[in-house]
Order: sequence, then structure tokens, then C-alpha cells
Amino acid sequence: GVFTHLERLEAQAHEAGRKQEEKEQQEEKLARLKERVEELRTQRDKLQAKVDLQQKGQTGRKGIIESGTTEPSAGAVLEWKIRRLQGMLQAFYLTGISAKLTKRGVCFSISTAYEGTYLDSYYLDLLIRPEVQIHHHSVPIFIPLEQITKRYLKTDIRRCLSVLSDHLNAYARRKYQADQLQEHFSDQLEGTLQRNSLCNLLVFNYKVPGEGKTFPFNARLIYRDLCCSLPTEAVVSCTEKAPESLQETAAAHSELFRHLALHKAFCSFSRAEERED
Amino acid sequence: MDETVAEYIRRTVLKIPRDEIKSMLQKWGFLSEAELQTINFHQIKDNISQEVVQLCEENSADIKQAAVLDIIYNHIYPNKRMWSVYQMKKTGEEPEIFDFQSFKKKFKRRLLSALENVTINFREYEDNAIWIRIAWGTPYTKPNQYKPSYVVYHSQTPYVFISASVLKSNMPLLCQALVIASSYHDIQEMELRSRSLNSLKDIVFKRYNQNFKTYCPRPPQERNAEPESADLRIIHENRSEKERIERVTWEIFGDGPQPQLEFAQYKLETMFKSDPKMEVLDKKEPFRCLVKFSSPHLLESLRSLAPAGLADAPLSPLLTCITQKARNNFKIKEKRGFFPGSFVSP
Repeated sequence: GVFTHLERLEAQAHEAGRKQEEKEQQEEKLARLKERVEELRTQRDKLQAKVDLQQKGQTGRKGIIESGTTEPSAGAVLEWKIRRLQGMLQAFYLTGISAKLTKRGVCFSISTAYEGTYLDSYYLDLLIRPEVQIHHHSVPIFIPLEQITKRYLKTDIRRCLSVLSDHLNAYARRKYQADQLQEHFSDQLEGTLQRNSLCNLLVFNYKVPGEGKTFPFNARLIYRDLCCSLPTEAVVSCTEKAPESLQETAAAHSELFRHLALHKAFCSFSRAEERED
Repeated sequence: MDETVAEYIRRTVLKIPRDEIKSMLQKWGFLSEAELQTINFHQIKDNISQEVVQLCEENSADIKQAAVLDIIYNHIYPNKRMWSVYQMKKTGEEPEIFDFQSFKKKFKRRLLSALENVTINFREYEDNAIWIRIAWGTPYTKPNQYKPSYVVYHSQTPYVFISASVLKSNMPLLCQALVIASSYHDIQEMELRSRSLNSLKDIVFKRYNQNFKTYCPRPPQERNAEPESADLRIIHENRSEKERIERVTWEIFGDGPQPQLEFAQYKLETMFKSDPKMEVLDKKEPFRCLVKFSSPHLLESLRSLAPAGLADAPLSPLLTCITQKARNNFKIKEKRGFFPGSFVSP
């Protein structure tokens, strides 16, 4: 029935989310391990060189001392340091928050992403003296930056950045879903997609391919949690004249929208239709 | 159709440049494509507007529909008006679920309850901008369609851009309606005015290209790879000074285009500092003076002052803080405290 289908979908969504998390963790772990390998390799080279030198010293100055087996040159050390830093910066970039020291403080950059697609980056330039305060920033005006910084900036910078990153990422992902819907599923939308600056209220009329050609659904998605990219309320309705089965479908869709990203939900409609054919 | 409506449509069409008339009428959508085909858009504008009015008569246009054409015109040519920026304040911390329908209802209700004779139109645009056109009347006269006020509001932001008509007496009512409709508590005019609406938005929404230090900045020396002068007889004596000026200018203004402002005004209430022996002013009163910088593009011209050798780099912070502080109208008073010099009043 519908509920088992929904349960299956829910389980699938959970599974996909878990797998994604695992994958990300593994990638981070891999980057860290690669770095460690580099470190160990250079350490080994250094020790090897020392050992060789010692051996040469004991057996006397026999043979030509090649520059390759002596202590690594200053140039090589510098190169190694640069590569290591770049690796670290790359690893940090993957976490989404990176920073650079400035003359009077620090500049943080928060990048947003949705499942492998990198979206916009936002910057927060902070002064450290006389106390931690914002110098300037590129956070959009409708993100409650003042609220977040008033609460956390002076006491816990890490938490402040983490909360801000959550807000920005959630906004970027909501916007991405709405944009994807307009771009790829415009033939199923009737009229315009109504949204607001934060993309936390979406109202639109749509029809499912195959069914309900004369009875479009109206969806009203409200995202009360600004750190979440899934709606907290999803009201799907169709006109009263519509048959019973469509009312059921509306309820099903309502559940779907609350658990699955918008464009993926629409994707699943097309797939469902293909399966029925 | 009312004669006043016909006249209004005629005059609105006359404002539009001839090449744009057809596309604007299409955007308006009041006349069908078939009807538009019957108009000859190559004749003189007077005749075009007469034909348009005729078609509107056949379709019984009313003033609300005519007002939509006015909004479309002003949306495409916002630079014909002077815009001020207002900032709203709220005390609560509830997450904002902005509902356009509820905003419209509350706004209209507030205005209509105070003033019966108003024409109110709303139009929403792709970038979440809401345009509101209000034509004001009095309890005894119909609304004056030729002096409407325009409001541009982006949902869930505290800023409102208003281009008021000459009738300033309606401003308190308009401000109150905005505050109620958008669930804020207070509204205040900022000291920021310009004809370029997009530049005002860029400044308050911080969309202009600010300099952020990321871990791969592009130093200016790499950008301006000036080809070594072909003529070896020319030697640049001040190369290091030139590079310093460029670097300082880049640090202040950044890379990209600056928002467009037409003026910056400084009202000085400072003491005249002269040689005590000259005794120009016996009374110790502040010397009142107004300094106004005007330009078709003020910030770009400020940016080019130091590289052109017309001013020292870095420029005075009073000039460079314009975009950061989001104001182009300053009052400078004498500072009474530890630090000498003047300060800018908030």
C-alpha cells in the first residue's frame, strides 16, 4: 500500500544520507592519511640520509658524495612545507570553513555545497582588537547574522561559525532545490513558483505526469527551521471536486516533500510514472 | 473608459522611447498580441499613443491596469527617480516566514483605513523584489496619478527603498503601513540617496565587490602587467611610488565596479582653525559650511584620484567609508574628548 511504499522511500532516504556521510568521512580520512604518508616519507628520507652520512663517515671519505644523499637542501624543505600547507588548506576547504590571518584579525570564508555541487562562498572579516567584532562581511542581508553573532561571537567563535555555516548552507540548499525545480520541472509547474528571499516559504501549483491532468495540486512548503533544508510543514491540497484517490496522493506527496529534497521528489514522480507504464 | 485614464495611458506611452514601446506593452499584457500587431510602431509617438489609447478603450481599461504600465516603465527606468533608503528595526527574534499575500493585505488595509482615495498596485519580480505603487488623494479629491510614490522591498530584509512623490505629508502613513505589513517595529530614514536604485541595493545588501583575504589573493602587481614601454627612452622615475599608490587604492576599493552614487555631502560644524594672530573670527562659534562632491559616478572618480596624481593615497577615511557606512550625507562636529580632530556623528 501507500504506507509501505512511503516507509520504503523513507528508509531509502535515510540510507542515502548515511552513505553520503560515510563517504564524506572516508574522503576526509583519506586526505589526512595521504598527508601523513607524505610526512612519514620525508621523515624516512631524512633518516635514511642521516644513516648514509654516518656510514660514509665511518668508512672514510670514499667515493663521490652525491648531493642527493646529503641533508635535503633548503629548497627541497621549503617545497615540502608548501605542499604540506596546500594539502592542509585543501583538507580545510573540504570542510567548508577556512580562514586567513589579516593585519588586524582573521578572515573566515564559509563555502556552501549541496551533495557535491559547490555553491557560493561567503566571507566574514573579523577584527581581534580591542575585542572580537565584525569588520565587514558578505553574508546576505536576510540571514540573521546579527542575532547569531550577538549570541556567540565574543564567547565561542567556533560555535558562531558553525551556526552561521548551518544557516548559510541550509539557505543555499533551499535555494538550489527551488532553482532546480524551476529549471528542470517547469513543464509540471503551473503558474509561477512563489518564494521569498530566504526560500523558506514556497507555494506552487503542479501536476504529476499521467495523473491529475485536470486536477493540479497546490503545495505550500514552510521551512520553519532556518538551519534545515527540508520543510517542517508541507501542505498539499487539490480541489474538492477531485476523486478520492487524488486526495490520497496529495497526502502521500505531503509526506514525501517533508523527507525528500524538492527536485528529487519531482524526479521520483517521473520515475513512478515510467514504472506504471 | 474614463477620460482621465485615457489621458494617463496616453502620457505614459509618450514617456517610453519609441523602440521600447512594443516590448513594454507586451510585458504589460493588457492588450493581446493580435491587437498589438495592428499598431504601427514606426510612426511618430503621438500617433502610436493615440492608437494604444483607442485599443485600451475598446478593452475598457481602468486606472489600476494603467498603473501597472507605469510600474513596468519605472522598473525598467528606475534612474529617472531619486531613491532614499529606509531601515526598519524589529525587536523580536522569531524566524520570519514572509508571506506575500499577507503582506499585501496588511499594507492595503492600513492605507485604506486611513485614506479612502488611494490607488495601490503591487508587482513581484524574479529577484524577490516587491514593487509598490501608491497614488495619493485626499478625502475630497481623487488620487493624483502623476505624482505616485514608489516602494521597493525585498522580503525578509530590513531595508526599504522609497521614491516619494513631492507630497511629503503622506510619508508617515506610508512608513507606518510598511512597518505593520512587514511585522517590524520601527522605521528610520538612512542618510543614503541616489538615482541608481541598483547601486543603493548593492551598498546596503553588501553585494559590491569587497576585498576579502582568502588564501589565494591576487596582488595588483600581477594584474596590471604593463608591457614594458616600447620606447626605452622613457624612464619611470616614480615607479615604486606609483606601485604603492596602486596597492593602497586596491586595498581600499578592491577590484570590481563601484556602486554608482551622484554625490556625497558633508555638513561641517567645526571650528575654524586659523593662525591665532590672524583673528579672523572673534567669536568661538563653529564655522558652518557645506561641502558637496558631485559626479556622474562619484566612487569611480574617487578611486581614480590617487592614481591620477590628483590626491594623496590613502584618501581621507571620510571619503572611503561611504560604502562601508552606507551613507552619503554626513554631519561633522567638533570632537570634545581625548582625540583631536573631528568625528562623524552617527
